[in-house]
Amino acid sequence: MPSLMILIPLFGVIILNLVFAVNSRMKKAAFWLALAIFSLQVVVAVFHHPALWNDSLGRIDSFLNVSFFVDHLSFIMFICIGMVSIASLFVARYGMKDEDDIFKFINLLIMASIGMSGIVMVKDIFSLYVFMEITAVSSFLLIAFPRSLESLEGSFKYLILSSIATVLMLTSIGILFLAAGGTDFDAIAAAIGASYENALVLAAIGLFICGLFIKGGLVPFHGWLPDAYTAAPAPVSVLLAGVVTKSAGIYTMIRITTSLLPHYQSVNNILMLVGTISIFAGALAAIGQDNFKRMLAYSSISQMGYIILGLGTGTILGIAGAVFHLLNHSIFKSLLFVNSAAVEKEIGTSDMNRMGGISQKMPVTGTTSVIAFLSTCGIPPLSGFWSKVIIVIALWQAGQYAYASLAIIASIITLAYFLSMQRRVFFGKLRAGLENLKDAEGGVLTVSVVLAALTIGIGIFFPFVFNTLILPVKEILVR
Amino acid sequence: MTANVIFYPIIVPLVTALALLVTPKKMKWGKEIVAIAGTALNLLLAIALFKSNIYFSAPWSGFGIDFSLKLYQFSSFIILAAAGFAFLITLYSTASLFNKDYAKPFYVYLALSLLMVNGAVLADNLVLMLFFWEGLLVTLFGMITIGNKHAFKTATKAFIIVGISDLFMMVGIALVAYLGGTITISQINLTTAGLGGLAFIFLIIGAISKAGSMPFHSWIPDAAIDAPLPFMAILPASLEKLLGIYFLARISLDMFELNVHSWASTTLMVVGAITILLAVMMALVQKDYKRLLSYHAISQVGYMILGIGTLVPVGIVGGLFHMINHAMYKSCLFLTGGSVEKQAGTTDLAKLGGIAKSMPVTFICFIIAAASISGVPPFNGFFSKELVYDGALERGMIFYVAAILGSFLTAASFLKLGHAAFLGKKQGNAEVKEAPMRMLIPMITIASLCVLFGLWNALPLNNLIQPILGKRLEGHNFSGLPTNALLVIATVVVLALALLNHIYGVKKTGKALKATDHIRYAPLLGHLYDMAEKRFFDPYNIGLDIVNFFAKIAAWFDRAIDWVYNILVVNAANLVTGLIKRLHTGNYGSYIIWSLASAAVILIFLIRAI
Amino acid sequence: MTIINIDNALLIVTAIAAIWTVMGRSLLKATIGLAVTSAAISVIIFRLESPLAAVFELSVCAGLITAVFVSAISLTKPLTHKEILYASKDRMKRYIYLPVILLVLGAALAFVKIWPGLVIAAPAAASQPEARSLLWDFRRLDILGQVIILLAGAFGIVLLFGEKKNK
Repeated sequence: MPSLMILIPLFGVIILNLVFAVNSRMKKAAFWLALAIFSLQVVVAVFHHPALWNDSLGRIDSFLNVSFFVDHLSFIMFICIGMVSIASLFVARYGMKDEDDIFKFINLLIMASIGMSGIVMVKDIFSLYVFMEITAVSSFLLIAFPRSLESLEGSFKYLILSSIATVLMLTSIGILFLAAGGTDFDAIAAAIGASYENALVLAAIGLFICGLFIKGGLVPFHGWLPDAYTAAPAPVSVLLAGVVTKSAGIYTMIRITTSLLPHYQSVNNILMLVGTISIFAGALAAIGQDNFKRMLAYSSISQMGYIILGLGTGTILGIAGAVFHLLNHSIFKSLLFVNSAAVEKEIGTSDMNRMGGISQKMPVTGTTSVIAFLSTCGIPPLSGFWSKVIIVIALWQAGQYAYASLAIIASIITLAYFLSMQRRVFFGKLRAGLENLKDAEGGVLTVSVVLAALTIGIGIFFPFVFNTLILPVKEILVR
Repeated sequence: MTANVIFYPIIVPLVTALALLVTPKKMKWGKEIVAIAGTALNLLLAIALFKSNIYFSAPWSGFGIDFSLKLYQFSSFIILAAAGFAFLITLYSTASLFNKDYAKPFYVYLALSLLMVNGAVLADNLVLMLFFWEGLLVTLFGMITIGNKHAFKTATKAFIIVGISDLFMMVGIALVAYLGGTITISQINLTTAGLGGLAFIFLIIGAISKAGSMPFHSWIPDAAIDAPLPFMAILPASLEKLLGIYFLARISLDMFELNVHSWASTTLMVVGAITILLAVMMALVQKDYKRLLSYHAISQVGYMILGIGTLVPVGIVGGLFHMINHAMYKSCLFLTGGSVEKQAGTTDLAKLGGIAKSMPVTFICFIIAAASISGVPPFNGFFSKELVYDGALERGMIFYVAAILGSFLTAASFLKLGHAAFLGKKQGNAEVKEAPMRMLIPMITIASLCVLFGLWNALPLNNLIQPILGKRLEGHNFSGLPTNALLVIATVVVLALALLNHIYGVKKTGKALKATDHIRYAPLLGHLYDMAEKRFFDPYNIGLDIVNFFAKIAAWFDRAIDWVYNILVVNAANLVTGLIKRLHTGNYGSYIIWSLASAAVILIFLIRAI
Repeated sequence: MTIINIDNALLIVTAIAAIWTVMGRSLLKATIGLAVTSAAISVIIFRLESPLAAVFELSVCAGLITAVFVSAISLTKPLTHKEILYASKDRMKRYIYLPVILLVLGAALAFVKIWPGLVIAAPAAASQPEARSLLWDFRRLDILGQVIILLAGAFGIVLLFGEKKNK
């Protein structure tokens, strides 16, 4: 089954271009094919029945001669990837009117999702790199999709920074390969354990982590992120913020730190420091932004900081909190980007100075945005609250009192910028010229409502979700 | 009785809420019947469970977070009280909200609120309690939003203020878990030394903000105007008070070991005294029926906090007794406000007047409740206030003075309210009729309970309040007439003064609505002096300035809290933000340098040790 | 061990060519610099007894250079002489610190004394299978992944350089 997670979408792309490309009616149907693929992915990940994932379809895996590695963390990532891709798909249909564009977009979207699905399954550091590149190349192209000067610039910045990350990681992989004689996670973990004090191995670890920091957009490696998020077309912003940086940067960080370097306190110290810097720099930078999407981008950076901070504790609870926050953040941040797409499309700009009081005219968008904001700030009992609580508790238990207090203070800053934002954009007097504003079309609104319902639902049924979905993740540490 | 019974107080409201959701819109009385049946069932259940002891515990989400519920004297009492109010107010709402399109969501939220309150009261695990506690915040938010068109803004304000204080409580719980090693409430036993003090303060912040004490109160007066009226009677006036004070009592009596002369006790008393005075001063100058009541809802919390904060038996009993009494008379007052609003069409005191004749039952209920809240013997408020005074006096004259001064101002403001709304000249031409029966029954029930709890105070005290404290009391018995005759005399004198003051005020201004204006604008002794004297050496103006100054401080304090929440934080952060924004030039070259330089730092950090 | 052997010389050539690529003022020179860099790297890889990798490097680089050419030509508009001069000065200003960083980094690394740690016991070179069969036997997934990257790249070319409809 794991290989099918790659092969089915790949097949989908081939069928799309062989069968669906013939005329415009078929091209329209491409949307439904992609929707079916992503829905299938979410379904098999949510109901991860062992019969599907273990031996019954092992023949394909053995043909590819690879042993995948699928655990609960991977399932959570599959859910995120599928869900956000669906959201992005709907936004694309809503935002792009040219069916040819949508068709090309769907192709690239599926390829990006192949890359991410690969990232979350492999247990080989080189294959990891290959799939990261698939994701990255698709993302460059997706950002550059409108071919405007701005989007090309954003794409170019991502390309440059991403290739620096690639160089760092390749160097690191080379050194680790040299030390371990293989690129399998187990072999590398053993080699790292053996040459614990070797400077070169340490340097390799550092290089790899720095590469992941760039991919994940953590401060001070984040330069590309605001530009890329802002310049990208709306559906791509959803995808980038929702999963791309998470699977390429954060997920991999979780995987690497837990399976390769579980006992490196200095690595954990770096994670916590970078996480805290990101939280503050992201939140403070977000306050001053005039562009809706740019503000969301900085807020993303800040939330990534929380995940890394939780991961840095190195305890089971901290990692569970990090994974939980990753899931929550990918839900509410893609919700926000979906709504920003609706706002941008209806108003024609994402400049916050030209908005005001739009909740009156776009009630669904306004309400769901406020829910997402409150969740981001960690207002109980929405989902974001619980994951932040867990991270703070984990920090406290790990004896990191300073970081725990900083995390709480930062959450107040988050509240501040979202408050000022919602006043400017959603509440208050309706700005002149927006009298004829309408809410977005049904598909996008459905996506918003579903994501908002998830945010509330996860918050209210927190014990259930945490127990069934998140807590099994601890197996990655105990192994 | 099996242990499963303990789940029923959670299940019954849940089923009610779900049944309400699936009740078809077309059924004319469908939602009303379901809501009444559900709350009535809950009330019967609460009566059946009263005074039973059940404990249930099951592992929940690991890390010491168990699903443990504990039913005992105290919690069964709160559940009973909550069930009673929920039933009566549902009955009331079937009339007052009939034909309103938000009636259905209101009943759903009411049922869910009841669920959350029952759950939070039963929970014997702090995290489980937090779960229900936050759930109540959601229903609070929902209930406010279904009001008028400003309601969403108010709801957001309430959500954020309460949410922030809940954040504090969360930290407090984390601290408790860290210090005590357990989050099972009945096993926690901490002192307020060092970090424990911090935990205590954080938990208290959560508890008193749920109860609506200063400085977490500023959403309540707004909600009074914007939210549907039964909301005020059910949440801020009764359920939230019950829950907040219940938890306050649990914190200061069970979870922490406080002694009488600790700073924690003094802090609580100071918060209580300040809340009493500032809120009642704000109440005094309000010109809207509901808004005036809502400031009293804040002020009365002060008595409970003061009473429990004394930590002497008489004060604690008084505080808890005041909690149940307050829930009764304040919800009764809000209900009379609702009748007036429904029948007369407004709650603006300037437009009301002379409706006592046409609404006699409402008026009588109002008088009983107002007399209760002002502490007029022999109503229930009198007895609980006497107990609180007794406790306060034991701890210090200043607290007693604050409490009795609050009492004076309370009485004055209710004289003004009753006079302006019900007596005096009739305003407008519209014919005002008595409220329908379904609105009168809850008012009458609660008002007669006020009388009953006053005349036969042994009933609540011996059966409800005193058993909660158990061995702390050691043979004390506070039922019957107050023992301290001096205090009673002082109270009566103060009440008489309030009446005199009112008569004077009405005479001076000629209008009941302005009866308290001289308190706002005059020094207490100023009007004894000759008018001529004022022109040369004007104590009136000085006094006016002084009182105005204090009134302004009260108002400023009220607004300042808003200001801190809305502006200060944003502006302070903007300064730092400017710098960060300037760093992001968009030049990818500099981004590359940041990345590489940081990578170099990380590398050197990693391999420095070797 | 002498410092100046063929490998080190190649390394220096690579570095100089790379810097030339970045600092060069015209696209043509930059492309030539890139080609030289790539060729030098190929030789190094070849000398390290990995012919397959060397060939791969050369072929990919050839493709890359073409892609860069095409994209650069389609994306830029011709500049005047003055603008070119200004741009090259600007570039000098912006990248002048590159060698400085290199020096500082080198010095830092030298002072923290990581060199003794550089020696890693190379894994016992068991009978190495032939490279092609190694690739197919053990790295099928990676090959699949690379195919997908190429596919994505093809889409990119279609997308970025295809004619825009209606415009």
